Amino acid sequence: MRIGPSGKERSSVTLTMDPLFLAWSYFRRRKFQKCSNICTKVLEDNPYDQAAWSLKTRALTEMVYIDEVDVDQEGIAEMMLDDSSIAQVARPGTSLRLPGTAQGGGPSPAVRPMTQSGRPITGFVRPSTQSGRPSTMEQAIKTPRTANTTRPVTNSSGRFVRLGTASMLTNPDGPFINLSRLNLTKYAQKPNLSKTLFEYIFHHENDVKTALDLAALATEHAQFKDWWWKVQLGKCYYRLGLHREAEKQFRSALNHQEFVDTYLYLAKVYRRLDQPITALNLFKQGLDHFPREVTLLTGIARIHEEMNNITSATEYYKDVLKQDNTHVEAIACIGSNHFYTDQPEIALRFFRRLLQMGVYNCQLYNNLGLCCFYAQQYDMTLSSFERALALISSDEEQADVWYNLGHVAVGIGDLTLAYQCFKLALVFNNDHAEAYNNLAVLELRKGHIEQAKAFLQTAASLAPHMYEPHFNFAVLADKLGDLQSSYMAAQKSEDAFPEHVDTQQILKNLRQHFAVL
Amino acid sequence: MSLFKARDWWSAVLAEGEEFDQGCLCVGDVDNTGSGYDKVVVGSYMGMLRVFAPHASHPGEGPAAGAQLLEVQMQDPIIQVEVGKFFDFSKCCSGSSRCSELLHLAVLHPRKLSVYAMSGVAGNVEHGDQYQLRLVYEHNLQRTACNMTFGPFGGVTGHHFICVQSMDGVLTFFEQDSYAFGRFLPAFLLPGPLCYCARTDAFITVSSTRQVECYRYETLAVAMDADTRQDLEQRGKSSGKRLTADWTLVLGEQALDICVPSTSPSATSSIFVLGERNLFCLLDNGQIRFMKKLEYSPSCFLPYASVAEGVTNLLLGNHNNMLLVYQDTTLKWAAQLNSTPVAVRVANFPELKGLVVTLSAKGHLLCSYMGTDPSFFTAPKVDAREVNYEEVDAEMKALQKVIRRATKNQGRAPAMDRMSSCQSFSPQQALIPEMNGIAVPSVTVKCQMPIVPLCPVLPTDFHPVPLTCVVFPVLFVSTGSVSQLTVAFSVFLNGHYTPADLTGHIAVTYSSPTGVPRVIQCKFALPLLLVCCPSQASKNAKYKITVDTNQPPVSLSEVFPGTRSNASQSHALGFQLVAGARLTALASRSSQRYRIQSETFEDIWLVAKELVQRLNQHFTKLGVKDFHSSFSGPIPLPEYFDIMDHHFELRLTAGRYEDLLSERAVQFRAVQRRLLTRFKDKTPAPLHNLDTLMEGTYRQVMALADTAEANRAALVEAFSRLRSSTHLLILLLSLWQGLGTEQTAILDATLLPVLQDTPQLGWEESVDAAVSHLLRTCLSRSPKDQAIALSTTQLSMPKDTSRLKKHIALLCDRIGKGGRLSLSSEANTPTPVMMQGQKRVCLHGSVWANRTETPTTYFCPGCPRHTHPSSLSSQDHQSSL
Repeated sequence: MRIGPSGKERSSVTLTMDPLFLAWSYFRRRKFQKCSNICTKVLEDNPYDQAAWSLKTRALTEMVYIDEVDVDQEGIAEMMLDDSSIAQVARPGTSLRLPGTAQGGGPSPAVRPMTQSGRPITGFVRPSTQSGRPSTMEQAIKTPRTANTTRPVTNSSGRFVRLGTASMLTNPDGPFINLSRLNLTKYAQKPNLSKTLFEYIFHHENDVKTALDLAALATEHAQFKDWWWKVQLGKCYYRLGLHREAEKQFRSALNHQEFVDTYLYLAKVYRRLDQPITALNLFKQGLDHFPREVTLLTGIARIHEEMNNITSATEYYKDVLKQDNTHVEAIACIGSNHFYTDQPEIALRFFRRLLQMGVYNCQLYNNLGLCCFYAQQYDMTLSSFERALALISSDEEQADVWYNLGHVAVGIGDLTLAYQCFKLALVFNNDHAEAYNNLAVLELRKGHIEQAKAFLQTAASLAPHMYEPHFNFAVLADKLGDLQSSYMAAQKSEDAFPEHVDTQQILKNLRQHFAVL
Repeated sequence: MSLFKARDWWSAVLAEGEEFDQGCLCVGDVDNTGSGYDKVVVGSYMGMLRVFAPHASHPGEGPAAGAQLLEVQMQDPIIQVEVGKFFDFSKCCSGSSRCSELLHLAVLHPRKLSVYAMSGVAGNVEHGDQYQLRLVYEHNLQRTACNMTFGPFGGVTGHHFICVQSMDGVLTFFEQDSYAFGRFLPAFLLPGPLCYCARTDAFITVSSTRQVECYRYETLAVAMDADTRQDLEQRGKSSGKRLTADWTLVLGEQALDICVPSTSPSATSSIFVLGERNLFCLLDNGQIRFMKKLEYSPSCFLPYASVAEGVTNLLLGNHNNMLLVYQDTTLKWAAQLNSTPVAVRVANFPELKGLVVTLSAKGHLLCSYMGTDPSFFTAPKVDAREVNYEEVDAEMKALQKVIRRATKNQGRAPAMDRMSSCQSFSPQQALIPEMNGIAVPSVTVKCQMPIVPLCPVLPTDFHPVPLTCVVFPVLFVSTGSVSQLTVAFSVFLNGHYTPADLTGHIAVTYSSPTGVPRVIQCKFALPLLLVCCPSQASKNAKYKITVDTNQPPVSLSEVFPGTRSNASQSHALGFQLVAGARLTALASRSSQRYRIQSETFEDIWLVAKELVQRLNQHFTKLGVKDFHSSFSGPIPLPEYFDIMDHHFELRLTAGRYEDLLSERAVQFRAVQRRLLTRFKDKTPAPLHNLDTLMEGTYRQVMALADTAEANRAALVEAFSRLRSSTHLLILLLSLWQGLGTEQTAILDATLLPVLQDTPQLGWEESVDAAVSHLLRTCLSRSPKDQAIALSTTQLSMPKDTSRLKKHIALLCDRIGKGGRLSLSSEANTPTPVMMQGQKRVCLHGSVWANRTETPTTYFCPGCPRHTHPSSLSSQDHQSSL
């Protein structure tokens, strides 16, 4: 609708604008590539234009910026060679490493599947929440790397995959700033340049040591009064694995200025130090200053969830939704919690809401299909799974969808279809322990005892944290008269799920027989 | 992510190829109709100024062209438009107070600031009114402008002054049509947003040092002038004060916009700052009132008055094309837009009040309100083709057939196969050319496999030590034309001692056509020639064994037909073992005796066994029925015990080495730990020769490990010798007392439990347990003494071998006195009880836990995938054994 009052043809007018202003405007509109290009031209004309240099630095940083709060990846080395742990065996309810010690409200593995570290499967995958710590090096190495963790769907959080290559991505001609030739002392004394430069070094070049040097010089120049530099120091220390030093810096920054990010960073340090209770207290302290802050509430909920305290986690997720009813993580977690507490209809509503909000991926349709099946809306089940299959992006997802289809087939009694579905799940993910277990049950129904035994053993070796294969093997060995194997398998099953009644029964019988002998 | 989209009330696409940013949109009653209804003014970077008076488009009327009041092409780009009381008529036209209330339009160009008056003339025809733009005054700017703000600076009433910020940090103040003054901002690098706060009469900006800075108007007014500063600096003196901020607050991030809501509740005077990652609400004195971390990239915002007490509402646009409505920090509504807004305003129009006006960078102007239209997102259709059920059925049937065939084959495959058996010997040179000056012989064994494998075939298992085998080719068979397959491999001695047994045992693994791994195995006897070769007989030897027979003696060359038939030597035959020792077999010329003599005790076994076997065969061939050989004793126990002691000693040494090794390893780790703490210490400390200690310990550990390894090899050899001599002992015992096969088997099981020597369970303790069991049961002095139950003590390595020696001597003694070995007398088997127990347990356990599904909701792809191809196969391997 562009009708000039006079209706005459307008000649295209090209008006000249100040290039720096244009670049500044592009930066504000997050068109970083254009901004960077203009700055490059300005710098070609005048290499000493600090404003253009600073703007380009900012643009390059923003291109690869990831919120440091969400960056958390623990390598095997850090997990195993941990020198900051206080006690080898933490008291129940005070550690993230002993997840079995729920203070009530934890779901039983009979209802909700567990991850390898013994936590219930969550509704939302985020960095470092699902992996947990393996207790021994052997387990750490043995763990199949198919935990399907990391990379949530929200745009704000991300996984720290970008490393030193980022600089090459944005600058094919070589690095924009040559860090080795930088006179850090000079820049640290210019407060209007140093912060930008720091972020560039930290986020874009990923050179934590240089960044740390700059931050140390700058905070000295600011006479240790700028909280921002302390937070940056803390970030550097955290990256370098000096958690106690990081804690000191964050604490000091909080004394200067209460800030949401600082609370989040500090809580992250405590989580890494395996002090969830301290982290919780800190979050609550943060909530006193910033009431109803969504990120703090989410942090609390995540910790509760990791400590198997699902009831509290759900409460906090509900609080989050009261503040922000479009929070995907909260909706997903509450939804899956409803699903596992036997309320598939309610879970269905949550997942449907996610769909309406525009979340459109394989996992969601997979969950919708399951909810529909358990809520007895059979007409929607298969079409949901069909869509899930159409949206698949990796083999693991495909394996899970086929596995769930196999479940549906078991539910409607079509064992041939179920058998084929489980087989397909194994085709796409050879480590799918659940599929092995269920195949074993189906094989046993066909009377192939050796095959069933083999599948059960495979399942047990792939997923020692699951109690089902152990229990099934115990029952099978018991039937075959192999009491010793049965007893051993039953013991493993008891380790995985101490409250399982049937396992207890088997163990009791076996002990009786052994006593008689 | 939102359920709903913003409802269109009126929208327009302004132009193609034009650009817009934050300052390009403003609303206000710019033509002073006095009705209080707003017009929308939009300027573009291409210099186009447009004014709209949107009204609801009635259905069927088409695009409302009449909504556009004015469109003017300016000479310069427009970077900001504002509506305000920019002209004081009281100056020129004799104090008409109403005139000063009139609104004017200020347009900021990069080098010019113009103020226009807009007026409309009612049209005569239905087509509408005519609007005009009249320049009131303009200022040429010295520096490139960036943005501007306006307000009643210094507390003037009735009209607004304008402050323009330039790209290099000069604030230029204009009091209407006259230039007031210009001021440099301190430590300036890049411009930030600028806002005037009327309550405190101060200017608020966010500088490049990432902090909010507040400058009072009066401070600015008395500060050093921008025009004179450069000259003054050159002269080295200053006339005005240095400009200092009223207060500052470090945000740690750049700001996109600052806004001071004019209509905010009086109780909470606040300043809103939209940062790149957080939203801040500050008090007038620079304290944070509240803040909110944003989980997205915001693009623009606008605080506005809320109906509720004490809170402020906030419109916030972000780069995910969303318009969010917050009440303080609580999200009230989220609506989807069709483009990212760069500017947002709230305007009142005649038909509707409080509409949200948004402008995108591409020029989409949209007046919308919050409604419950479902959002833009609809799940795309899965490509659903028309299903032809008959075709699908047919395809399904065909596929099912294929599946069934595949599974049937798999099921039919026999669980266990035997190799039909094997061997065609062709002695030849082995891979190792010679040992002790004797060429090492080698034997080729051929095994025939009954079915056709598809995959590489590999012998996996081979006994006994120290024989090894080499497979000639690795076989790949791909066609089904061959019904039998021959696996050939050569066997030779690979060690400096003689094996205790010449029975080979081979297992072959392969994969069946359906991919199931399988194992087949077979046993075969190897010839004596593999370990020895004929040589000169020698007269004297240390150890001698004499075997009596009840038949006239035969020539040894008849018994061993392969050897050289030397007439003079027919009663004596020499064997040179590859491993070193020399044996001689002698046949007595007159009596029915045969003698085997050797320098080493254990080496007699292989030849003795061979001799007895061959004599048996020979006489069976001759038709002699009642041939039997015997041994007159005494049993050579002392020699046997020597070998046993040697073995035991080596075991003890192995244990000692193990202890030493663990001790050294502990020391090594301790030194390591100390070194590590030294290195991690922040204050460097001398190492105190810890590094030398570590290196020394490391060398010790390595040397110890080497010695332990050598000891282990010696142990294996000693065990092999022990087995040989035990075999010999059993042979002699059975010949001595004429034991039957059944009793020999019991003796075999007692003295030679099939085991590898392990540190946990050795030969001595297991034999001791077995022998003492025999002594207590069938060989006990009187039936009364027979023990009822099995002794169930833990087997552990004995301190010395005296007990075992005593027991074995006793065993020989009892057997010599006519004791019979049998297991049938033991009536105390617990088997029936066990059976019962099993049955009872069987009743339970019909519950099969089914794994419930895995709604791992958002797992991510990208983890490297590790497959365990061997997991299934290892299981199958077991089952097929």
